[in-house]
Amino acid sequence: MSSTSTKPRRPIVVAVVANRTLYHLVMGAISLLYVVPLAWMVMSSFKTKREIFESPFALPSEIDFGVWAEAWDRGDLGGYILNSLLTTVVAVSAILVFALAAAYAFSRFKFRGKALLLAPFALGLLLPVQSYLTAQARLFDSVYLLDTRWVLMISYAGLGLSLAIFLLKSYLDSLPREIFEAARMDGAGDFRTLIQVVMPLMTPALSTVAVFSILSAWNEFLLAMLYVTTDDLRTIPAGLLAFTGRYATDYPMLFAALSMITLPVIAAYAVFHKQVIAGVTEGSVQ
Amino acid sequence: MKPTRAWAPYVLIAPAVLVFAFVVLIPAVANTGLSFASWSGTDTIQFAGLDNYLRAFRDEIYLISYRNTFIYIALTLVLEVLVGLILAGLVTMTGRRTAFYRIAFFVPVTLPMIAIAVLWGFVYSDDIGLINSALRGVGLDSLAKVWLGDPNTALLAISVVSGWIYAGFYMAIFYAALQRIPQHIVEAARLDGAGQWRIFFSVKVPMIRPMIEVAVLLCVTGAFQSFDLFYVMTNGGPDHATEIITTYLVEVVFRYHDLGYGAALATIMTVVVVVIGLVLVKLRTKDGGSGVEY
Repeated sequence: MSSTSTKPRRPIVVAVVANRTLYHLVMGAISLLYVVPLAWMVMSSFKTKREIFESPFALPSEIDFGVWAEAWDRGDLGGYILNSLLTTVVAVSAILVFALAAAYAFSRFKFRGKALLLAPFALGLLLPVQSYLTAQARLFDSVYLLDTRWVLMISYAGLGLSLAIFLLKSYLDSLPREIFEAARMDGAGDFRTLIQVVMPLMTPALSTVAVFSILSAWNEFLLAMLYVTTDDLRTIPAGLLAFTGRYATDYPMLFAALSMITLPVIAAYAVFHKQVIAGVTEGSVQ
Repeated sequence: MKPTRAWAPYVLIAPAVLVFAFVVLIPAVANTGLSFASWSGTDTIQFAGLDNYLRAFRDEIYLISYRNTFIYIALTLVLEVLVGLILAGLVTMTGRRTAFYRIAFFVPVTLPMIAIAVLWGFVYSDDIGLINSALRGVGLDSLAKVWLGDPNTALLAISVVSGWIYAGFYMAIFYAALQRIPQHIVEAARLDGAGQWRIFFSVKVPMIRPMIEVAVLLCVTGAFQSFDLFYVMTNGGPDHATEIITTYLVEVVFRYHDLGYGAALATIMTVVVVVIGLVLVKLRTKDGGSGVEY
């Protein structure tokens, strides 16, 4: 807009305002495609089944969280959320610690077998989990890991390691070697250098890995459905599906459950949107 | 450099290597072996040679699942990548406040896909569905249909949801690339009298071409891993109209317990994905170098 300021003023200003209005009209219309399904979900959770059928677009006649409470209790959503939290925290912590240690070793040191040990992780970037799912299920079954609290934690950690190691390694590779030489001159051992020198420098890269890993662990469904069958151990995605099966036509309850699962995520995203967008895009484009 | 203690690097990588070997490496190797066997998981394993592979190429449903996967890829290239590119164009029009739109269009990427699948199952539903209600509301009753129950529309309907989720994701990566285009290039085009859209398609898009190629690669390889939407919304139906490779694989292994056959199906899929990935990467580097450096 600033480049037009040398030309005659008034008509341009009118044109710019009209243009801007049109622009926001178009963008607003596109935004509706995102807002309407979510708004419909929340509104329907406050309606009776009859209202959902007869007036899908009307506002609910009253905001009553009774159905939400009922869905929370009967569906044991709290249990699913707790399981998701536990699984995500353990898996993501493991990814961060293990990947940082490994990336540090792969990036900074010469040692025998280095190339041979790093190569398989590239395979992990390339292969989707479906390509070895059959054997993985058998292996987990043979060590009595299926249907335990551990199976998803270990799976998500293992699946997330490859990307985390390569991301962190490329970041470490770009750090000047003087930092490490100076640390050594000061008498710091390899482990102390990792904790006191490398870790503080790696905060941005670690946060990218954390965002990426948290989202994948929180939202993962395929393994969660196949490997965990005890309802008490289910995470949110598999739990939600089980819930949907149990209350197939109790629409207000289903919409309440959906709302309770999606709204906190949207709220968290609203706060951390910068980190989330950066983390997801950097993690995928790598 | 050399570690202060020779064993230090091995201690550092040990946890990662062990977990990775257990979860990915050993299963990946074992899966290839399993693909040459016949096994239900409870009976004894029998060597089956190439039987599983030969059977796969005659398995009509398996072939249909490839056809559907490729249709899905074609649809999502438009609904995710192209729409994402257009959204990126819209949010980078100069002098506009667009932070809200950029943040809003990305929301579905962060939500559990199962929740989205269940929600959109309702949006498409025949009786309470938002789409049919809207169509009936404006008098277009004849267009209302059972979107996910009709073999002609089911795959398209799922692809639309996929676009709803990922268009914002591709917008975000294109947006990041567009931000790195030097301002003076855009200014030069503007001084030459080019309009906003002309600048976008003739100047900006060619400059972010490397990123568009990455997006195509992500979209194509990602499509082979799709599962959640299909499993929840149609589970391959009606009459295999939305059967994709992964839904069929899960059915073979976890419902029919045909482990050897499932392993072979997975191995074939892996080869196809890797070959397509390599071809796309090759195409990129062959005529690359024309784009802007990041």
